[in-house]
Amino acid sequence: MHKRSLGLSLVGSLAIIVGACGTAATPTPSSSQAASQPAASASAPAASGSDAAPSASTSAMKPIKVGVVTDVGQLEDKSFNQSSNEGAKAAATESGGSHEVIVTKAISDYAANIQTLIDADFDVIVTVGFLIGTDTAKAAKANPDVKFVGVDQGVCVDEAGAPDGTFACKGDAATLLPNYQGIVFAEAQPGYLAGIVAGSISKSGTIGAVGGTNVPAVVNYWRGYENGAKSIKSDIKVLYQETDPDPSKGFNDQSKGKTIANQFLSQGADVIFQIAGLTGQGALEAVCAKDGAYGIGVDVDQAVSLPTLSKCIVTSAEKKLVDTVKAVVLSVASDTFKAGTVPYNAASDPQAIGLSAYHDNAALITPEIQAKLDAALAALKDGSLDPCAPIKCTVAGS
Amino acid sequence: MTESPSPPVTAPALEMRAITKRYPGVVANDAIDIDVRPGEIHALLGENGAGKSTLMNILYGLATPDSGEILLDGAEVRIGGPSDAIARGISMVHQHFMLVPVMSVADNILLGAETMANPIFLDRKEAHRRIVELGTRFGFQIDPDVPVGSLSVGWQQRVEILKALYRQARILVLDEPTAVLTPQETKEIFVVLRRLADEGHSIIFISHKLHEVLEIADRITVIRRGKVVGTRAPAETNEDDLAALMVGRNVQLVVDRGESHPAGATLVVSDLKVADDRGQESVNGVSFEVRAGEILGVAGVAGNGQEELVEALTGLRKPTGGTVSMGGRDVTGAGPRALQQQGMSFVPGDRHRFGLVLGFSLADNLVLTQYDEPPYVKGLLRDEKAIAAWAKRAIAEYDIRTPSANVNASTLSGGNQQKAIVAREFSRELTVLILDQPTRGLDVGSIEFIHRQVVAKRDEGAAILLVSAELDEVLELADRVAVMYRGEIVAVVDGPTAEREDVGLLMAAGRRAIPPVASDAVAEPGPTATGLS
Amino acid sequence: MTSLRRIWALAAIPVVSILLALLVGSLLISASSLATSPSLNPLLPLIAYESLLQGATGLSFIDVTGGAITFNPSIKPDQAARALTSTVAAASPLVLTGLAVGVGFKAGLFNIGGTGQVLVGGFAAALVGGTVAGQPAPVAVTMAILAGALGGAAYGFIPGFLKAFTGAHEVVSTIMLNSLAAFVIVGLVNDIFKITGPSFARSADVGNAAMPILFGRNGNLGILISLILVVLVYVLIYRTPLGFEIRTVGANPSAARYAGMSPRRLVVLTMSLCGMFAGLAGAFEILSLGYYPAVFGTSIGFSGITVALLGRAHPVGILLAAILLGAMQAGAPSMQITAKVPIEIIDVIQGLILLFLAAESVIRHALRSRTERVTPGEIGTVSRSYGDSTT
Repeated sequence: MHKRSLGLSLVGSLAIIVGACGTAATPTPSSSQAASQPAASASAPAASGSDAAPSASTSAMKPIKVGVVTDVGQLEDKSFNQSSNEGAKAAATESGGSHEVIVTKAISDYAANIQTLIDADFDVIVTVGFLIGTDTAKAAKANPDVKFVGVDQGVCVDEAGAPDGTFACKGDAATLLPNYQGIVFAEAQPGYLAGIVAGSISKSGTIGAVGGTNVPAVVNYWRGYENGAKSIKSDIKVLYQETDPDPSKGFNDQSKGKTIANQFLSQGADVIFQIAGLTGQGALEAVCAKDGAYGIGVDVDQAVSLPTLSKCIVTSAEKKLVDTVKAVVLSVASDTFKAGTVPYNAASDPQAIGLSAYHDNAALITPEIQAKLDAALAALKDGSLDPCAPIKCTVAGS
Repeated sequence: MTESPSPPVTAPALEMRAITKRYPGVVANDAIDIDVRPGEIHALLGENGAGKSTLMNILYGLATPDSGEILLDGAEVRIGGPSDAIARGISMVHQHFMLVPVMSVADNILLGAETMANPIFLDRKEAHRRIVELGTRFGFQIDPDVPVGSLSVGWQQRVEILKALYRQARILVLDEPTAVLTPQETKEIFVVLRRLADEGHSIIFISHKLHEVLEIADRITVIRRGKVVGTRAPAETNEDDLAALMVGRNVQLVVDRGESHPAGATLVVSDLKVADDRGQESVNGVSFEVRAGEILGVAGVAGNGQEELVEALTGLRKPTGGTVSMGGRDVTGAGPRALQQQGMSFVPGDRHRFGLVLGFSLADNLVLTQYDEPPYVKGLLRDEKAIAAWAKRAIAEYDIRTPSANVNASTLSGGNQQKAIVAREFSRELTVLILDQPTRGLDVGSIEFIHRQVVAKRDEGAAILLVSAELDEVLELADRVAVMYRGEIVAVVDGPTAEREDVGLLMAAGRRAIPPVASDAVAEPGPTATGLS
Repeated sequence: MTSLRRIWALAAIPVVSILLALLVGSLLISASSLATSPSLNPLLPLIAYESLLQGATGLSFIDVTGGAITFNPSIKPDQAARALTSTVAAASPLVLTGLAVGVGFKAGLFNIGGTGQVLVGGFAAALVGGTVAGQPAPVAVTMAILAGALGGAAYGFIPGFLKAFTGAHEVVSTIMLNSLAAFVIVGLVNDIFKITGPSFARSADVGNAAMPILFGRNGNLGILISLILVVLVYVLIYRTPLGFEIRTVGANPSAARYAGMSPRRLVVLTMSLCGMFAGLAGAFEILSLGYYPAVFGTSIGFSGITVALLGRAHPVGILLAAILLGAMQAGAPSMQITAKVPIEIIDVIQGLILLFLAAESVIRHALRSRTERVTPGEIGTVSRSYGDSTT
């Protein structure tokens, strides 16, 4: 019978539905950047920049035993469960060690799943998703000999190193929990690059972005996109709409995504950036139905994950999850592990964000545009470019 | 086996020899011999639990005998199951019909015996033709397209019989076919059965109604405690003789009762109106009173409002008008709980629906209406010891035949189930006792027992309302008889001196004499007096 | 002897269903080995079940090295303690949701609303817990748990009331209420009760109202409360007049009316009671987690149906069934990493158990058992038509 509850499929698995949902769904920053970590397309090369060669030298590595505890849902979610696991597995293989994964079925199982890996003497435990953060921090405190990598987890602890329910975050996570790294991504950066593309190829001078729910990740993407576009054409009009304040609707309403996109198109927009999961898929479909309009995907290379729409997807604003997780896990093997919340961005090695390949639409990206992109990326890397400026990465934007 | 008298002697259509079947703790059938000739109606008479059903289950392949043999037309056969039995021409009409109410007569008959036009489609035309033909042959025309649910019980039974005939049954077993029928329907079905027998079918007629058996059977075999105790022809026996055979002792078919000495009116009903489930007024302003120490019988053909009347009096149905008072207090519209607390006891007509929880133990059923009263409750908890003690006493005092108080009520025979209800309801402190069909479907031994208890309660001073479709029962017990017809009480007569025919006419027509032709009464489709004897 | 026979008559179908499900499950596990290796691994089911058992109890019976199996019973005490703690911790909410369905069965009600009642109970516990987070733990915990119980009870009261006074079938209304609870609570957490700080929408930390740990890593107070409730429910159902009323209404509503009981009152009361159990389960889950995340979802409400059916709606049966399912849940991670069998196989096995339970008559026939039909009516309740009314 129904093993999974209605509640789970409607609410609990929001992150999954949103971020993962089947082959077609586009992972996107979900409820609260939950599903932020997709990047199924390990194969998709970054638009530019150096390719990820792990910095640690193989010779200095010790074989490590890597365990992964996924977020609630499936392993093969074409999103952050799958990508994190692939990264962890690749790292284990490269270090000459081994790898196992435990798929979580319910939020209440997180702790037990982590404990199972601890009991089985794993060296590194990768936990996926923000919800598992509290249990990861607790386990990190209780097991100082085991390294923990939390994907999509900001580490917030009190002075004693325990998870901080008040979110004052007074404790210094890096010293209190030296065996725990939380990976977070700077969504504004790939958003900025996407904005450059949109601003450059738009003929009408109007572009759009469809957001799911205004959680920080979505807002970061959106404001970065806006700043990027305005850096090309300062008078460009950037339309934006939040689909629904309730993430269970905001990221799941394909028909509403279509409606919003059509509305934007009728207002003259000819490039639309989707930041809305399944909702955004509807937006991309609307774009594809109109000649001369283009879409930009999010999180993973959506031209690959949504092959039927690839002809009108110029590129995708991507988080390079596989590479990032792999590098962090390998840092344990090479004893270069960093604790605390570590933001991953263009400057990270390997580069943690970027644009996907242009596939069918490579002709649109002229060498001039590519040059601007390369320059922006370089500026993002060296810190001279703030993607959250002049418009701030908040809903108000000021 | 006692030699039977002789209709023309032919080879038996069916012979069962020395059938023995044991269940843990009981010998259900102990070397039973029985034979049925072609064209014979052979009655099988016995108390509940005597072993009739076991024997028939063996015949129908539902049970395997431990020893003994079955011969059909002189050849030994082994019957593997119901389908095997049907293939050999044996059919059973169960007491509870095996019909699908929403399906048509034809579909019900075809179910399991589909006549195929080709491997995929039914040959409905041919099936219809045969059904109509069979009905005509045996004296009952029936429209094969009518849904079974819209038929009366009597006609549903005919559908069951048609079903058997359609499967070319030669030996027909009818398990208490009259238990659910009105007297008139019984008469009609007897005509059908006689016709079947005349056509050469053999019929085994299971019953414990003595007068019916005497009326219809060619031979009567009596079973008691798993053994055949005698086979008689109707001409050489009578009801008392058969009852004694069945029960193993002389039975008083009519309970002795002294004169009643009624005191003041305890239950007073005035102008009571009650609507049925469809909202039709089925009790139209009845008024009567039951005095302490008397039995008021309510006679009437089933469906004339008695059921609604009883439900209204016992709090199961809200009256739409009128008043009811008990011991001088107005109890109109009171619920069952309030009435019970005022001293009302009620033996419901449908014991499986209201009287018992079949899935509960006998002990639990014995406290169904007293479960929350001392001594069965101590503090917050049930007092299992007190319940067990009471169950033990009830089993002894009311002669409930059961292996223990812990068996499910469903495993008891109908008579013992009814005794359990009587034990429970009669043991309460009561001033008013309402009895609805108190002996329906019971054997003579149980009927005798319950009748005695009823009279005893009367003599203790209870005001008793007895509603029964069995006119005999009403006449035997009631001190006064109220006749109900179309929701009204058309007459109240003195019980001991009431004339059977007189009451019968009142029941059938609502008046004492059938008026001459051309009166409106003739046009009424109501039941006729013939059904009442 | 007779009582043993009675127990067998009751337990035969569940036990056979479990065994058959494990058998079919083993075929699937064997087949699943094809996904990772070129040839079928006939030993994989054995390894999988062994690691499942080990993960759930710490007991090990065999060693598998290469293709050889050696029988070698062993137990690691510390692992066993952890494993058993995890098993009972996983079982305790299932006991409660099992009771939430099972007690309903006793009254002839099919409470599919466990999920919604769990959510409401959990949310109520989170809100009150967040408010009393600073109170001393005994006060805070008590208040938060009571809030969960009341929230669940209130959410069970609604379908009970609708059924009693409007005739709305509880299956339909509870399904709708499940969705309602899910959506409304998400909205409330997102819009009203969201705290600032974390990167995702969640309610405030419950602080001192967090579930106290009594033993081991996760042996919490909920386990103790669940056990006590099993005993109390047993007493209630089988030893009190109220329980007798509930059972009578379930077995024969007409007889209940005849006996002077009030089916309406009992329907409302029983549904509220069921809701309370589910609400407690939700409270324990949320108070263990420490907050209510907007994306909270749980399958324990629906698992309660499996538990109640497997436990034949009897409190002791429900306890045993919950422990079985809890053990599967607790052993699943170890099965995943040792045997590398996908965790979905656990769902499949549980689904198969239900399937075989539902195919009761088939199994009975296969067993050729003379075990009389002692179904306490729970299957009947599940499959009863919508037209029936108890009032």
